[in-house]
Amino acid sequence: MISPSATTPSLPSVPASRRRSFDNGGLPGAMAAEWTKTWSVRSTWWSLLTALLLMAATAAQLGIYTTDTNTNTDPTDDKGIVAASEIAIQAIDLAQFAVIALAMLAITVEYSAGTIRATLQWMPRRAWMLMAKTAVVACVTFGAGVLMGAVGAAVGAAILGRWRSFSFAGTARDLLTIGLYLALICMFTLGVGTALRSAVGTLTSVFLFLTIIPASLQNSNITFFERISDALPGVAGARFLRGATDPYPPIVGLLILAVWAVAALAGGYAVLRRRDA
Amino acid sequence: MILLTGLTKRYGETTAVRDLSLRVESGKVTGFLGPNGAGKSTTMRMILGLDRPTSGTALIGGRPYATLPHPLREVGALLDAKAAHPGRCARSHLKAMARSNGIPGARVETVLDTVGLSEVAGKRTGTFSLGMGQRLGIAGALLGDPRVLMFDEPVNGLDPDGVRWVRELMRSLAAEGRTVFVSSHLMSEMQQTADRLVIIGKGRLLADAPIAEVLASSSRNTVKVRSPHPAALSRLRDRLTAGHAEQPSPGELIVTDVPVERVGELAHEEGVPLHELTARKASLEQAYMELTADSVEYAAPGGGRT
Repeated sequence: MISPSATTPSLPSVPASRRRSFDNGGLPGAMAAEWTKTWSVRSTWWSLLTALLLMAATAAQLGIYTTDTNTNTDPTDDKGIVAASEIAIQAIDLAQFAVIALAMLAITVEYSAGTIRATLQWMPRRAWMLMAKTAVVACVTFGAGVLMGAVGAAVGAAILGRWRSFSFAGTARDLLTIGLYLALICMFTLGVGTALRSAVGTLTSVFLFLTIIPASLQNSNITFFERISDALPGVAGARFLRGATDPYPPIVGLLILAVWAVAALAGGYAVLRRRDA
Repeated sequence: MILLTGLTKRYGETTAVRDLSLRVESGKVTGFLGPNGAGKSTTMRMILGLDRPTSGTALIGGRPYATLPHPLREVGALLDAKAAHPGRCARSHLKAMARSNGIPGARVETVLDTVGLSEVAGKRTGTFSLGMGQRLGIAGALLGDPRVLMFDEPVNGLDPDGVRWVRELMRSLAAEGRTVFVSSHLMSEMQQTADRLVIIGKGRLLADAPIAEVLASSSRNTVKVRSPHPAALSRLRDRLTAGHAEQPSPGELIVTDVPVERVGELAHEEGVPLHELTARKASLEQAYMELTADSVEYAAPGGGRT
Protein backbone atom coordinates (compact mmCIF):
# COMPACT_ATOMS: atom_id res chain seq x y z
CA MET A 1 0.00 0.00 0.00
CA ILE A 2 1.27 3.41 -0.89
CA SER A 3 1.16 5.87 1.97
CA PRO A 4 0.33 9.49 1.38
CA SER A 5 3.48 11.55 1.54
CA ALA A 6 1.93 14.48 3.35
CA THR A 7 1.01 13.91 6.95
CA THR A 8 -0.96 17.12 6.99
CA PRO A 9 -3.25 16.77 4.01
CA SER A 10 -3.63 20.47 3.30
CA LEU A 11 -3.95 21.13 -0.38
CA PRO A 12 -1.45 23.52 -1.89
CA SER A 13 -3.70 26.02 -3.57
CA VAL A 14 -3.03 27.78 -6.81
CA PRO A 15 -2.22 31.40 -5.95
CA ALA A 16 -4.86 33.89 -7.02
CA SER A 17 -2.40 35.57 -9.39
CA ARG A 18 -1.91 32.30 -11.28
CA ARG A 19 -5.61 31.66 -11.55
CA ARG A 20 -5.87 34.45 -14.07
CA SER A 21 -3.42 32.73 -16.35
CA PHE A 22 -5.85 29.80 -16.56
CA ASP A 23 -7.49 29.92 -19.92
CA ASN A 24 -8.24 27.47 -22.66
CA GLY A 25 -10.55 24.77 -21.49
CA GLY A 26 -13.73 24.80 -23.55
CA LEU A 27 -13.56 23.22 -26.99
CA PRO A 28 -9.77 23.61 -27.47
CA GLY A 29 -9.25 22.11 -24.03
CA ALA A 30 -11.55 19.21 -24.86
CA MET A 31 -9.58 18.55 -28.05
CA ALA A 32 -6.27 18.68 -26.18
CA ALA A 33 -7.64 16.23 -23.61
CA GLU A 34 -8.86 13.82 -26.29
CA TRP A 35 -5.52 14.10 -28.07
CA THR A 36 -3.67 13.15 -24.86
CA LYS A 37 -6.11 10.30 -24.23
CA THR A 38 -5.60 8.95 -27.76
CA TRP A 39 -1.83 8.72 -27.52
CA SER A 40 -1.65 7.47 -23.93
CA VAL A 41 -3.15 4.02 -24.57
CA ARG A 42 -1.42 1.18 -26.33
CA SER A 43 -4.42 0.28 -28.47
CA THR A 44 -3.78 3.40 -30.60
CA TRP A 45 -0.21 2.35 -31.36
CA TRP A 46 -1.21 -1.26 -31.99
CA SER A 47 -3.99 -0.20 -34.37
CA LEU A 48 -1.63 2.02 -36.34
CA LEU A 49 1.10 -0.59 -36.45
CA THR A 50 -1.41 -3.20 -37.61
CA ALA A 51 -2.73 -0.80 -40.24
CA LEU A 52 0.76 -0.19 -41.64
CA LEU A 53 1.65 -3.89 -41.68
CA LEU A 54 -1.66 -4.79 -43.33
CA MET A 55 -1.08 -2.08 -45.90
CA ALA A 56 2.46 -3.29 -46.65
CA ALA A 57 1.36 -6.91 -46.92
CA THR A 58 -1.68 -6.18 -49.07
CA ALA A 59 0.27 -3.81 -51.33
CA ALA A 60 2.95 -6.44 -51.78
CA GLN A 61 0.36 -9.05 -52.70
CA LEU A 62 -1.37 -6.73 -55.18
CA GLY A 63 2.00 -5.75 -56.66
CA ILE A 64 2.98 -9.37 -57.20
CA TYR A 65 -0.42 -10.14 -58.67
CA THR A 66 -0.09 -7.24 -61.13
CA THR A 67 3.38 -8.23 -62.35
CA ASP A 68 2.33 -11.86 -62.63
CA THR A 69 -0.68 -11.11 -64.79
CA ASN A 70 1.48 -8.81 -66.94
CA THR A 71 3.88 -11.66 -67.67
CA ASN A 72 1.56 -14.64 -68.00
CA THR A 73 0.52 -16.07 -71.34
CA ASP A 74 -3.03 -14.71 -71.35
CA PRO A 75 -2.83 -11.19 -72.89
CA THR A 76 -6.39 -10.26 -71.65
CA ASP A 77 -5.03 -10.38 -68.08
CA ASP A 78 -2.48 -7.70 -68.79
CA LYS A 79 -2.76 -4.77 -66.40
CA GLY A 80 -0.02 -2.84 -68.14
CA ILE A 81 1.76 0.01 -66.44
CA VAL A 82 0.32 0.77 -63.00
CA ALA A 83 0.85 3.87 -60.81
CA ALA A 84 2.59 2.92 -57.56
CA SER A 85 -0.01 4.75 -55.45
CA GLU A 86 -2.78 2.90 -57.30
CA ILE A 87 -1.61 -0.19 -55.43
CA ALA A 88 -2.05 1.69 -52.11
CA ILE A 89 -5.57 2.76 -53.10
CA GLN A 90 -6.56 -0.84 -53.79
CA ALA A 91 -4.93 -2.12 -50.61
CA ILE A 92 -6.81 0.33 -48.38
CA ASP A 93 -9.99 -1.77 -48.78
CA LEU A 94 -8.55 -4.28 -46.34
CA ALA A 95 -6.06 -2.22 -44.32
CA GLN A 96 -8.71 0.38 -43.43
CA PHE A 97 -10.29 -1.91 -40.83
CA ALA A 98 -7.37 -1.51 -38.41
CA VAL A 99 -7.90 2.27 -38.50
CA ILE A 100 -11.67 1.85 -38.25
CA ALA A 101 -11.05 -0.12 -35.04
CA LEU A 102 -9.05 2.84 -33.72
CA ALA A 103 -11.92 5.25 -34.46
CA MET A 104 -14.44 2.89 -32.92
CA LEU A 105 -12.39 2.49 -29.72
CA ALA A 106 -12.29 6.29 -29.27
CA ILE A 107 -15.90 6.09 -28.10
CA THR A 108 -16.80 2.47 -27.31
CA VAL A 109 -13.99 2.03 -24.79
CA GLU A 110 -15.50 4.90 -22.79
CA TYR A 111 -18.57 2.76 -22.24
CA SER A 112 -16.83 -0.59 -21.80
CA ALA A 113 -14.28 0.78 -19.31
CA GLY A 114 -16.83 3.07 -17.62
CA THR A 115 -14.77 6.20 -18.24
CA ILE A 116 -17.61 8.05 -19.98
CA ARG A 117 -18.74 9.52 -16.66
CA ALA A 118 -15.29 10.93 -16.01
CA THR A 119 -15.09 12.27 -19.56
CA LEU A 120 -18.46 14.01 -19.28
CA GLN A 121 -17.51 15.34 -15.87
CA TRP A 122 -14.48 17.01 -17.47
CA MET A 123 -16.46 18.13 -20.51
CA PRO A 124 -20.12 18.35 -19.54
CA ARG A 125 -21.07 20.05 -22.80
CA ARG A 126 -21.76 16.87 -24.72
CA ALA A 127 -21.68 18.52 -28.14
CA TRP A 128 -18.17 19.78 -27.42
CA MET A 129 -17.06 16.39 -26.18
CA LEU A 130 -18.23 14.74 -29.41
CA MET A 131 -16.79 17.54 -31.56
CA ALA A 132 -13.44 17.15 -29.80
CA LYS A 133 -13.45 13.40 -30.38
CA THR A 134 -14.45 13.92 -34.01
CA ALA A 135 -11.65 16.42 -34.59
CA VAL A 136 -9.03 14.15 -33.02
CA VAL A 137 -10.26 11.04 -34.83
CA ALA A 138 -10.33 12.93 -38.14
CA CYS A 139 -6.79 14.29 -37.66
CA VAL A 140 -5.28 11.00 -36.54
CA THR A 141 -6.96 8.89 -39.22
CA PHE A 142 -6.21 11.41 -41.97
CA GLY A 143 -2.54 11.23 -40.97
CA ALA A 144 -2.73 7.46 -40.77
CA GLY A 145 -4.26 7.35 -44.25
CA VAL A 146 -1.50 9.47 -45.77
CA LEU A 147 1.17 7.41 -44.03
CA MET A 148 -0.42 4.13 -45.11
CA GLY A 149 -0.69 5.47 -48.65
CA ALA A 150 3.02 6.29 -48.62
CA VAL A 151 3.91 2.81 -47.33
CA GLY A 152 1.60 1.15 -49.87
CA ALA A 153 3.02 3.21 -52.74
CA ALA A 154 6.61 2.47 -51.66
CA VAL A 155 5.99 -1.29 -51.42
CA GLY A 156 4.04 -1.19 -54.68
CA ALA A 157 6.80 0.74 -56.45
CA ALA A 158 9.45 -1.72 -55.27
CA ILE A 159 7.53 -4.75 -56.47
CA LEU A 160 6.07 -3.41 -59.74
CA GLY A 161 9.54 -2.78 -61.16
CA ARG A 162 9.32 -2.10 -64.90
CA TRP A 163 5.49 -2.08 -64.80
CA ARG A 164 5.55 0.95 -62.50
CA SER A 165 4.70 4.54 -63.24
CA PHE A 166 5.32 7.27 -60.71
CA SER A 167 4.74 11.02 -60.47
CA PHE A 168 5.08 13.20 -57.40
CA ALA A 169 1.91 15.13 -58.12
CA GLY A 170 -0.14 12.01 -58.82
CA THR A 171 1.16 10.21 -55.73
CA ALA A 172 0.57 13.25 -53.51
CA ARG A 173 -3.00 13.54 -54.80
CA ASP A 174 -3.62 9.83 -54.16
CA LEU A 175 -2.21 10.00 -50.63
CA LEU A 176 -4.43 12.98 -49.78
CA THR A 177 -7.38 11.13 -51.30
CA ILE A 178 -6.70 8.10 -49.09
CA GLY A 179 -6.34 10.34 -46.00
CA LEU A 180 -9.59 12.16 -46.71
CA TYR A 181 -11.45 8.92 -47.44
CA LEU A 182 -10.19 7.27 -44.26
CA ALA A 183 -10.96 10.31 -42.08
CA LEU A 184 -14.57 10.39 -43.35
CA ILE A 185 -15.04 6.62 -42.95
CA CYS A 186 -13.70 6.92 -39.40
CA MET A 187 -15.99 9.86 -38.60
CA PHE A 188 -18.87 7.70 -39.81
CA THR A 189 -17.63 4.91 -37.50
CA LEU A 190 -17.36 7.31 -34.56
CA GLY A 191 -20.94 8.44 -35.12
CA VAL A 192 -22.22 4.85 -35.27
CA GLY A 193 -20.20 3.99 -32.14
CA THR A 194 -21.63 6.97 -30.25
CA ALA A 195 -25.15 5.84 -31.09
CA LEU A 196 -24.61 2.12 -30.36
CA ARG A 197 -22.06 2.35 -27.52
CA SER A 198 -20.87 -1.24 -27.99
CA ALA A 199 -17.75 -2.27 -29.89
CA VAL A 200 -19.26 -5.44 -31.35
CA GLY A 201 -22.39 -3.65 -32.55
CA THR A 202 -20.35 -0.83 -34.07
CA LEU A 203 -17.87 -3.03 -35.90
CA THR A 204 -20.66 -5.25 -37.23
CA SER A 205 -22.71 -2.30 -38.45
CA VAL A 206 -19.76 -0.58 -40.11
CA PHE A 207 -18.67 -3.82 -41.78
CA LEU A 208 -22.23 -4.42 -43.01
CA PHE A 209 -22.54 -0.89 -44.40
CA LEU A 210 -19.11 -0.79 -46.04
CA THR A 211 -18.86 -4.31 -47.41
CA ILE A 212 -21.69 -6.82 -47.01
CA ILE A 213 -24.77 -4.78 -47.93
CA PRO A 214 -23.27 -3.13 -51.05
CA ALA A 215 -21.95 -6.49 -52.26
CA SER A 216 -25.35 -8.19 -51.85
CA LEU A 217 -27.18 -5.32 -53.53
CA GLN A 218 -24.80 -5.24 -56.48
CA ASN A 219 -24.99 -8.99 -56.94
CA SER A 220 -28.77 -8.80 -57.16
CA ASN A 221 -28.57 -7.43 -60.75
CA ILE A 222 -31.69 -5.42 -60.02
CA THR A 223 -31.18 -1.81 -61.09
CA PHE A 224 -33.12 -0.38 -58.15
CA PHE A 225 -30.92 -2.20 -55.64
CA GLU A 226 -27.81 -1.19 -57.52
CA ARG A 227 -28.86 2.47 -57.30
CA ILE A 228 -29.31 2.07 -53.53
CA SER A 229 -25.87 0.52 -53.29
CA ASP A 230 -24.41 3.51 -55.18
CA ALA A 231 -25.64 5.72 -52.35
CA LEU A 232 -24.01 3.70 -49.55
CA PRO A 233 -20.88 5.09 -47.85
CA GLY A 234 -18.52 2.27 -48.82
CA VAL A 235 -19.44 2.38 -52.51
CA ALA A 236 -19.43 6.18 -52.65
CA GLY A 237 -16.07 6.21 -50.87
CA ALA A 238 -14.62 3.65 -53.26
CA ARG A 239 -15.77 5.71 -56.27
CA PHE A 240 -14.05 8.75 -54.75
CA LEU A 241 -10.89 6.76 -54.07
CA ARG A 242 -10.64 5.20 -57.52
CA GLY A 243 -11.67 8.33 -59.43
CA ALA A 244 -14.62 6.56 -61.05
CA THR A 245 -16.82 8.60 -63.37
CA ASP A 246 -19.83 6.33 -63.68
CA PRO A 247 -22.57 6.69 -62.44
CA TYR A 248 -21.29 9.87 -60.74
CA PRO A 249 -17.96 11.74 -60.62
CA PRO A 250 -15.54 11.22 -57.69
CA ILE A 251 -16.48 14.52 -56.07
CA VAL A 252 -20.07 13.31 -55.72
CA GLY A 253 -18.75 10.13 -54.10
CA LEU A 254 -16.86 12.32 -51.63
CA LEU A 255 -19.99 14.35 -50.89
CA ILE A 256 -22.13 11.23 -50.37
CA LEU A 257 -19.54 9.84 -47.95
CA ALA A 258 -19.38 13.17 -46.11
CA VAL A 259 -23.18 13.22 -45.78
CA TRP A 260 -23.07 9.73 -44.25
CA ALA A 261 -20.36 10.80 -41.80
CA VAL A 262 -22.29 13.89 -40.71
CA ALA A 263 -25.55 11.94 -40.46
CA ALA A 264 -23.95 9.22 -38.31
CA LEU A 265 -22.42 11.85 -36.01
CA ALA A 266 -25.75 13.69 -35.77
CA GLY A 267 -27.47 10.41 -34.87
CA GLY A 268 -24.77 9.67 -32.30
CA TYR A 269 -25.18 13.12 -30.80
CA ALA A 270 -28.96 12.72 -30.59
CA VAL A 271 -28.45 9.58 -28.47
CA LEU A 272 -25.60 11.08 -26.44
CA ARG A 273 -27.58 14.21 -25.59
CA ARG A 274 -30.70 12.37 -24.47
CA ARG A 275 -29.38 9.40 -22.53
CA ASP A 276 -27.93 9.26 -19.04
CA ALA A 277 -24.21 8.62 -18.95
CA MET B 1 -22.65 25.73 -2.37
CA ILE B 2 -24.91 23.06 -3.80
CA LEU B 3 -28.62 23.72 -4.05
CA LEU B 4 -31.13 21.02 -4.94
CA THR B 5 -34.75 21.96 -5.59
CA GLY B 6 -37.43 19.31 -5.96
CA LEU B 7 -34.92 16.97 -7.56
CA THR B 8 -36.66 13.84 -8.85
CA LYS B 9 -35.45 10.90 -10.92
CA ARG B 10 -37.72 8.15 -12.17
CA TYR B 11 -36.73 5.06 -14.12
CA GLY B 12 -40.04 3.80 -15.48
CA GLU B 13 -42.05 2.70 -12.45
CA THR B 14 -39.25 3.10 -9.93
CA THR B 15 -38.51 6.44 -8.32
CA ALA B 16 -34.84 6.61 -7.43
CA VAL B 17 -34.95 10.13 -6.02
CA ARG B 18 -38.16 11.82 -4.94
CA ASP B 19 -38.59 15.57 -4.60
CA LEU B 20 -35.24 16.14 -2.92
CA SER B 21 -34.59 19.72 -1.80
CA LEU B 22 -31.53 20.66 0.14
CA ARG B 23 -28.73 23.11 0.51
CA VAL B 24 -25.16 21.98 1.03
CA GLU B 25 -23.28 24.85 2.67
CA SER B 26 -19.66 25.82 2.27
CA GLY B 27 -17.15 25.52 5.10
CA LYS B 28 -18.71 22.31 6.34
CA VAL B 29 -18.48 18.60 5.73
CA THR B 30 -21.97 17.42 4.87
CA GLY B 31 -22.47 13.68 5.17
CA PHE B 32 -24.88 12.08 2.73
CA LEU B 33 -26.22 8.87 4.20
CA GLY B 34 -28.63 6.21 3.15
CA PRO B 35 -28.90 2.46 2.71
CA ASN B 36 -27.89 0.85 -0.59
CA GLY B 37 -30.27 1.89 -3.32
CA ALA B 38 -31.40 4.99 -1.44
CA GLY B 39 -30.48 7.26 -4.34
CA LYS B 40 -27.19 8.76 -3.15
CA SER B 41 -25.17 8.07 -6.28
CA THR B 42 -28.07 9.00 -8.56
CA THR B 43 -28.32 12.34 -6.76
CA MET B 44 -24.60 12.98 -7.18
CA ARG B 45 -24.75 12.06 -10.87
CA MET B 46 -27.62 14.51 -11.36
CA ILE B 47 -25.64 17.27 -9.63
CA LEU B 48 -22.84 16.64 -12.17
CA GLY B 49 -25.22 16.65 -15.12
CA LEU B 50 -24.46 13.00 -15.93
CA ASP B 51 -28.05 11.90 -15.36
CA ARG B 52 -30.93 14.08 -16.41
CA PRO B 53 -33.45 14.75 -13.60
CA THR B 54 -37.07 13.84 -14.36
CA SER B 55 -37.92 17.15 -12.65
CA GLY B 56 -36.30 19.68 -10.36
CA THR B 57 -32.91 21.34 -10.53
CA ALA B 58 -29.42 20.94 -9.13
CA LEU B 59 -27.32 24.11 -9.02
CA ILE B 60 -23.73 24.71 -8.06
CA GLY B 61 -23.07 28.29 -7.02
CA GLY B 62 -26.32 29.16 -8.78
CA ARG B 63 -25.58 27.43 -12.10
CA PRO B 64 -26.19 23.98 -13.54
CA TYR B 65 -22.94 22.00 -13.70
CA ALA B 66 -23.03 21.64 -17.48
CA THR B 67 -22.99 25.42 -17.97
CA LEU B 68 -19.83 25.99 -15.91
CA PRO B 69 -17.08 27.18 -18.28
CA HIS B 70 -14.36 25.25 -16.40
CA PRO B 71 -16.26 22.72 -14.31
CA LEU B 72 -13.20 21.02 -12.80
CA ARG B 73 -11.98 24.33 -11.37
CA GLU B 74 -15.27 24.74 -9.53
CA VAL B 75 -16.36 21.22 -8.65
CA GLY B 76 -14.15 18.24 -7.89
CA ALA B 77 -15.84 14.89 -7.68
CA LEU B 78 -14.92 11.31 -6.94
CA LEU B 79 -17.69 9.11 -8.29
CA ASP B 80 -16.20 5.67 -8.62
CA ALA B 81 -12.69 4.37 -8.22
CA LYS B 82 -12.48 2.86 -11.68
CA ALA B 83 -13.05 6.07 -13.66
CA ALA B 84 -9.67 5.85 -15.38
CA HIS B 85 -8.94 3.74 -18.48
CA PRO B 86 -7.08 0.65 -17.19
CA GLY B 87 -4.46 0.96 -19.95
CA ARG B 88 -3.60 4.60 -19.25
CA CYS B 89 -1.08 5.58 -16.61
CA ALA B 90 -2.12 7.77 -13.70
CA ARG B 91 -0.09 10.75 -14.89
CA SER B 92 -1.55 10.72 -18.42
CA HIS B 93 -5.04 10.37 -16.98
CA LEU B 94 -4.57 13.50 -14.87
CA LYS B 95 -2.79 15.34 -17.71
CA ALA B 96 -5.70 14.80 -20.07
CA MET B 97 -8.04 15.88 -17.30
CA ALA B 98 -6.01 19.07 -16.67
CA ARG B 99 -5.92 19.94 -20.37
CA SER B 100 -9.68 19.59 -20.69
CA ASN B 101 -10.12 22.49 -18.27
CA GLY B 102 -7.02 24.55 -18.98
CA ILE B 103 -5.42 23.63 -15.66
CA PRO B 104 -1.60 24.11 -15.52
CA GLY B 105 0.28 20.83 -15.91
CA ALA B 106 2.22 21.45 -12.70
CA ARG B 107 -0.96 20.75 -10.74
CA VAL B 108 -0.77 17.12 -11.88
CA GLU B 109 2.46 16.52 -9.96
CA THR B 110 1.14 18.46 -6.97
CA VAL B 111 -2.00 16.37 -6.57
CA LEU B 112 -0.12 13.11 -7.29
CA ASP B 113 2.15 14.06 -4.40
CA THR B 114 -0.78 15.05 -2.18
CA VAL B 115 -2.41 11.64 -2.53
CA GLY B 116 0.88 9.73 -2.40
CA LEU B 117 0.86 8.30 -5.92
CA SER B 118 3.97 10.06 -7.31
CA GLU B 119 6.02 6.87 -7.37
CA VAL B 120 3.46 4.89 -9.35
CA ALA B 121 2.30 7.75 -11.60
CA GLY B 122 3.80 6.07 -14.66
CA LYS B 123 2.03 2.75 -14.06
CA ARG B 124 -1.13 1.76 -15.84
CA THR B 125 -4.15 2.25 -13.60
CA GLY B 126 -5.38 -1.27 -14.42
CA THR B 127 -2.63 -2.54 -12.12
CA PHE B 128 -3.83 -0.35 -9.21
CA SER B 129 -5.48 -1.72 -6.09
CA LEU B 130 -8.91 -0.43 -5.13
CA GLY B 131 -7.28 1.88 -2.59
CA MET B 132 -4.86 3.33 -5.15
CA GLY B 133 -7.77 3.83 -7.53
CA GLN B 134 -9.55 5.79 -4.80
CA ARG B 135 -6.46 7.94 -4.29
CA LEU B 136 -6.27 8.65 -8.01
CA GLY B 137 -9.94 9.62 -7.95
CA ILE B 138 -9.28 11.97 -5.03
CA ALA B 139 -6.29 13.44 -6.91
CA GLY B 140 -8.64 14.14 -9.83
CA ALA B 141 -11.15 15.81 -7.52
CA LEU B 142 -8.44 18.10 -6.13
CA LEU B 143 -6.84 18.84 -9.53
CA GLY B 144 -8.73 22.03 -10.35
CA ASP B 145 -8.45 23.42 -6.79
CA PRO B 146 -12.26 23.61 -6.68
CA ARG B 147 -14.53 25.33 -4.17
CA VAL B 148 -16.96 22.43 -4.13
CA LEU B 149 -16.00 18.79 -3.58
CA MET B 150 -18.15 15.70 -3.80
CA PHE B 151 -17.01 12.24 -2.78
CA ASP B 152 -19.04 9.09 -3.29
CA GLU B 153 -17.94 6.48 -0.72
CA PRO B 154 -14.35 7.81 -0.60
CA VAL B 155 -12.97 5.37 1.98
CA ASN B 156 -13.99 2.22 0.08
CA GLY B 157 -10.98 -0.04 -0.16
CA LEU B 158 -8.68 2.15 1.91
CA ASP B 159 -6.64 0.77 4.79
CA PRO B 160 -7.05 2.34 8.26
CA ASP B 161 -4.24 4.82 7.55
CA GLY B 162 -5.94 5.84 4.33
CA VAL B 163 -9.28 6.21 6.09
CA ARG B 164 -7.76 8.54 8.64
CA TRP B 165 -6.02 10.48 5.88
CA VAL B 166 -9.29 10.96 3.96
CA ARG B 167 -11.01 12.10 7.14
CA GLU B 168 -8.30 14.70 7.80
CA LEU B 169 -8.31 15.80 4.16
CA MET B 170 -12.05 16.46 4.26
CA ARG B 171 -11.84 18.34 7.53
CA SER B 172 -9.05 20.53 6.16
CA LEU B 173 -10.88 21.16 2.87
CA ALA B 174 -13.94 22.31 4.82
CA ALA B 175 -11.74 24.39 7.12
CA GLU B 176 -10.46 26.22 4.02
CA GLY B 177 -14.06 27.25 3.40
CA ARG B 178 -14.84 24.71 0.69
CA THR B 179 -18.11 22.85 0.32
CA VAL B 180 -17.58 19.15 1.05
CA PHE B 181 -20.37 16.69 0.28
CA VAL B 182 -19.54 13.07 1.14
CA SER B 183 -21.70 10.01 0.75
CA SER B 184 -21.13 7.00 2.93
CA HIS B 185 -22.85 4.07 4.49
CA LEU B 186 -20.27 3.97 7.27
CA MET B 187 -22.04 5.76 10.08
CA SER B 188 -19.14 5.70 12.49
CA GLU B 189 -17.01 7.39 9.82
CA MET B 190 -19.57 10.17 9.37
CA GLN B 191 -19.86 10.68 13.10
CA GLN B 192 -16.17 11.59 13.14
CA THR B 193 -16.08 13.59 9.93
CA ALA B 194 -19.34 15.37 9.18
CA ASP B 195 -20.75 18.57 10.61
CA ARG B 196 -24.12 18.08 9.09
CA LEU B 197 -26.06 15.04 7.94
CA VAL B 198 -28.41 14.53 5.07
CA ILE B 199 -30.12 11.15 5.32
CA ILE B 200 -32.20 9.66 2.53
CA GLY B 201 -34.07 6.41 2.19
CA LYS B 202 -35.85 5.13 -0.89
CA GLY B 203 -35.08 8.46 -2.54
CA ARG B 204 -36.81 10.55 0.13
CA LEU B 205 -35.21 13.04 2.48
CA LEU B 206 -35.40 11.62 6.02
CA ALA B 207 -33.26 14.11 7.87
CA ASP B 208 -31.22 17.22 7.12
CA ALA B 209 -29.71 18.58 10.32
CA PRO B 210 -26.50 19.06 12.29
CA ILE B 211 -25.17 15.76 13.65
CA ALA B 212 -26.05 16.66 17.25
CA GLU B 213 -29.67 17.23 16.30
CA VAL B 214 -29.96 13.91 14.48
CA LEU B 215 -28.61 12.19 17.58
CA ALA B 216 -30.88 14.12 19.94
CA SER B 217 -33.98 13.25 17.94
CA SER B 218 -33.34 9.55 18.26
CA SER B 219 -35.68 7.57 20.51
CA ARG B 220 -32.64 5.55 21.42
CA ASN B 221 -31.74 8.32 23.83
CA THR B 222 -32.86 6.58 26.97
CA VAL B 223 -32.60 7.02 30.74
CA LYS B 224 -31.82 4.01 32.86
CA VAL B 225 -33.10 3.98 36.44
CA ARG B 226 -32.18 1.33 39.04
CA SER B 227 -33.70 1.09 42.48
CA PRO B 228 -33.78 -1.54 45.26
CA HIS B 229 -37.54 -0.80 45.75
CA PRO B 230 -39.58 -2.28 42.89
CA ALA B 231 -42.81 -0.83 44.22
CA ALA B 232 -41.38 2.68 44.28
CA LEU B 233 -40.07 2.15 40.80
CA SER B 234 -43.54 1.16 39.59
CA ARG B 235 -44.94 4.40 41.07
CA LEU B 236 -42.29 6.32 39.15
CA ARG B 237 -43.20 4.42 35.97
CA ASP B 238 -46.86 5.46 36.36
CA ARG B 239 -45.82 9.11 36.65
CA LEU B 240 -43.84 8.99 33.40
CA THR B 241 -46.84 9.42 31.14
CA ALA B 242 -45.06 11.98 28.96
CA GLY B 243 -42.74 9.35 27.56
CA HIS B 244 -42.46 5.66 27.50
CA ALA B 245 -41.19 3.56 30.39
CA GLU B 246 -40.40 -0.11 30.45
CA GLN B 247 -39.59 -2.24 33.48
CA PRO B 248 -37.51 -5.09 32.08
CA SER B 249 -36.82 -6.37 35.60
CA PRO B 250 -38.37 -5.39 38.95
CA GLY B 251 -35.41 -3.22 39.93
CA GLU B 252 -34.85 -1.50 36.57
CA LEU B 253 -36.65 1.05 34.46
CA ILE B 254 -35.78 2.16 30.89
CA VAL B 255 -37.31 5.52 30.00
CA THR B 256 -37.52 7.03 26.55
CA ASP B 257 -38.51 10.54 25.47
CA VAL B 258 -38.12 12.06 28.93
CA PRO B 259 -35.03 14.12 29.77
CA VAL B 260 -32.85 12.71 32.52
CA GLU B 261 -33.41 15.85 34.64
CA ARG B 262 -37.17 15.32 34.65
CA VAL B 263 -36.79 11.63 35.57
CA GLY B 264 -34.59 12.64 38.49
CA GLU B 265 -37.09 15.24 39.74
CA LEU B 266 -40.00 12.79 39.56
CA ALA B 267 -37.97 10.13 41.41
CA HIS B 268 -37.31 12.70 44.11
CA GLU B 269 -41.03 13.62 44.32
CA GLU B 270 -41.98 9.94 44.61
CA GLY B 271 -39.22 9.30 47.12
CA VAL B 272 -37.62 6.56 45.07
CA PRO B 273 -34.23 5.51 46.38
CA LEU B 274 -31.88 5.42 43.40
CA HIS B 275 -28.88 3.22 42.74
CA GLU B 276 -28.44 4.46 39.22
CA LEU B 277 -29.72 7.24 37.01
CA THR B 278 -27.97 7.35 33.61
CA ALA B 279 -28.72 9.02 30.33
CA ARG B 280 -27.68 6.76 27.46
CA LYS B 281 -26.99 8.49 24.17
CA ALA B 282 -27.79 6.79 20.92
CA SER B 283 -24.91 6.28 18.55
CA LEU B 284 -25.25 7.70 15.09
CA GLU B 285 -25.48 4.14 13.88
CA GLN B 286 -28.61 3.58 15.98
CA ALA B 287 -30.16 6.91 15.03
CA TYR B 288 -29.57 6.12 11.38
CA MET B 289 -30.96 2.57 11.63
CA GLU B 290 -34.07 3.96 13.20
CA LEU B 291 -34.54 6.64 10.55
CA THR B 292 -34.05 4.28 7.66
CA ALA B 293 -35.79 1.23 9.14
CA ASP B 294 -38.81 1.68 6.88
CA SER B 295 -36.85 2.47 3.76
CA VAL B 296 -34.32 -0.30 3.46
CA GLU B 297 -34.42 -1.52 -0.11
CA TYR B 298 -32.76 -4.88 0.42
CA ALA B 299 -33.55 -5.90 3.99
CA ALA B 300 -32.42 -9.19 5.41
CA PRO B 301 -35.43 -11.44 6.05
CA GLY B 302 -36.76 -11.50 9.61
CA GLY B 303 -36.24 -7.79 10.18
CA GLY B 304 -32.46 -7.88 10.45
CA ARG B 305 -32.53 -4.13 10.99
CA THR B 306 -34.70 -2.65 13.69
